[in-house]
Amino acid sequence: MGNGKWLMVIGFAWVTATSHAQVNVVKGRRSFGVSGFGGDAAIAGQVTEVLKNDLRLSGYFALAPASSAEFVQSGAVRGDRTGLSVECVVMQQATKRVVLSKSYQGSAQDLRRVVHKLTDDIVQTITGQRGIAQTKIAFVWTRGSVKELAVMDYDGYNAHQLTYDKSISVRPRWSPDGRKIVYTSYKNLFPDVLEVDLYTGQRRRLATFPGLNSGATFSPDGATIALTLSKDGNPELYTMSATGGDLHRLTHTRGGESSPTWSPDGQAITYVSDDSGAPQIWMINRAGGASSRLTVSPSYNTEPDWSRPPANSDMKPMLALTSRVGGRFQIGLFDSSTGAVRPVVADSADNEDPSWAPDGRHLVFAKTQHWRTQLYLLDVVTGEQVQLPAVEGGASEPAWGP
Amino acid sequence: MRTKILAQVVLMAFIAAFGLTGCKNPPWKKGTSGGGGLGAESPIAPLGPGGETSVGPRPMVGEGGLPQSQFQPVYFDYDSARIKPSEDSKLEAVATYMKSNPGKLVIEGYCDERGTAEYNRALGERRALAAREQLIKLGVDPSRMSTISYGKDRPVDLGHDEAAWAKNRRDEFVVVNQ
Repeated sequence: MGNGKWLMVIGFAWVTATSHAQVNVVKGRRSFGVSGFGGDAAIAGQVTEVLKNDLRLSGYFALAPASSAEFVQSGAVRGDRTGLSVECVVMQQATKRVVLSKSYQGSAQDLRRVVHKLTDDIVQTITGQRGIAQTKIAFVWTRGSVKELAVMDYDGYNAHQLTYDKSISVRPRWSPDGRKIVYTSYKNLFPDVLEVDLYTGQRRRLATFPGLNSGATFSPDGATIALTLSKDGNPELYTMSATGGDLHRLTHTRGGESSPTWSPDGQAITYVSDDSGAPQIWMINRAGGASSRLTVSPSYNTEPDWSRPPANSDMKPMLALTSRVGGRFQIGLFDSSTGAVRPVVADSADNEDPSWAPDGRHLVFAKTQHWRTQLYLLDVVTGEQVQLPAVEGGASEPAWGP
Repeated sequence: MRTKILAQVVLMAFIAAFGLTGCKNPPWKKGTSGGGGLGAESPIAPLGPGGETSVGPRPMVGEGGLPQSQFQPVYFDYDSARIKPSEDSKLEAVATYMKSNPGKLVIEGYCDERGTAEYNRALGERRALAAREQLIKLGVDPSRMSTISYGKDRPVDLGHDEAAWAKNRRDEFVVVNQ
């Protein structure tokens, strides 16, 4: 799991859990009372704060006073310089049934990770759905005149810079196993597709053709990369092996093709083309052939991203995109049965670059207000938007990790 | 001059191969066994040609990056990569220079800040390629020209109005390796 892999990346972070969980598959938004934790007051306060935020961001729970909530949590923390221990019990009040009773241990610096693990267990136990509290988001960190890649926790904390190139590093995309990120780098002056291995920090040049090399996106099985190259005289869509080589050209148009995203089954690639005059969303088989246009209106649709919800999920695969309407950019969902785009984030700001969480329910996107860009989360079920902690300089082009 | 550029290229290659030493370690690297910052890039086996390569090879550029443009920028309409008739004379000036001087031409395509980032990278590339097509028709050897799209990055005017955007929707022309 991605969880274990991040241990290597982050260092000595470790979490163990002993479980007496009673699985109770129920679905929907439920009232949840966080009573807090006994023990060291400072640690208990932090654990409570992170837990409340995680439960709220999960979308499955409405925080409520413990006296009136369907589920109520109690617990205790213990911690010193050497380690942290969190015990948590969750009870369904009406039935007096303990639905979760677990203890978690981690290093002292590891408090947020420990609570994220606890939250995902609560979500899994009560809803049967996969939580997102342990996931990561990659993004472009604008620092003065340069753009660097960074990775942070899904809730916007623990942001770490990945590149220190003092150049332009943009459009990150994760490998399905969470180990690698491919992106577009101008560090050698021309836009190249590079790959960084998050275990080792090693970088590889994947595509350095004349002209534009950009938009690299892993297939769901991680074996193939779709990308935009202009080496043949026009920005066109190609696929190549993730290990290098085996290049195939998919499109032959007079317009520009960009921003590929793989269909959930990995058999087709959805992308942007302005061959019809304005940018719209198109789809083509991964082997090439005839392409078909998906969106007709509004007159400008870009940055498609397919969700890939887990097999047991309540969510269906959905295609998120960015539309321009009345000079403003908004996030929309494409309805394949009607061909219409349903706006889900449409306000006075510019909202761009949606990227799905692995639960197929949450999106991260970039919102620009007064020419400053920051990242927000959207729960497409509740429609709730949450601003992530602001990043100095600005954050854009987010990519939610697996 | 040529020796100096060659020395710079060798230095660049050296930096590319062993680069990033001396960079600050990312905080998350603490405690991992590898140590150091992001590793050096290791080139992979070169990709075979996927069709005729019609975009000219990249010129080698010294450590200082590209020099300033010495020509008038070519401007574009919003969301368009079409060369307007008003811009033709600027391209003719570039072509005239290239035909009577040595060196390679780098055509840089830029967009204004409105619109999504990756789409604008493709649009900026189409703007650069549109100028390249016209310069080929004007007699410039295609193998002497390469393109860079910066998309929305590196605007020349930091304003947020149509006057600024009009200046940012542009191609710039840089001569290197003279």
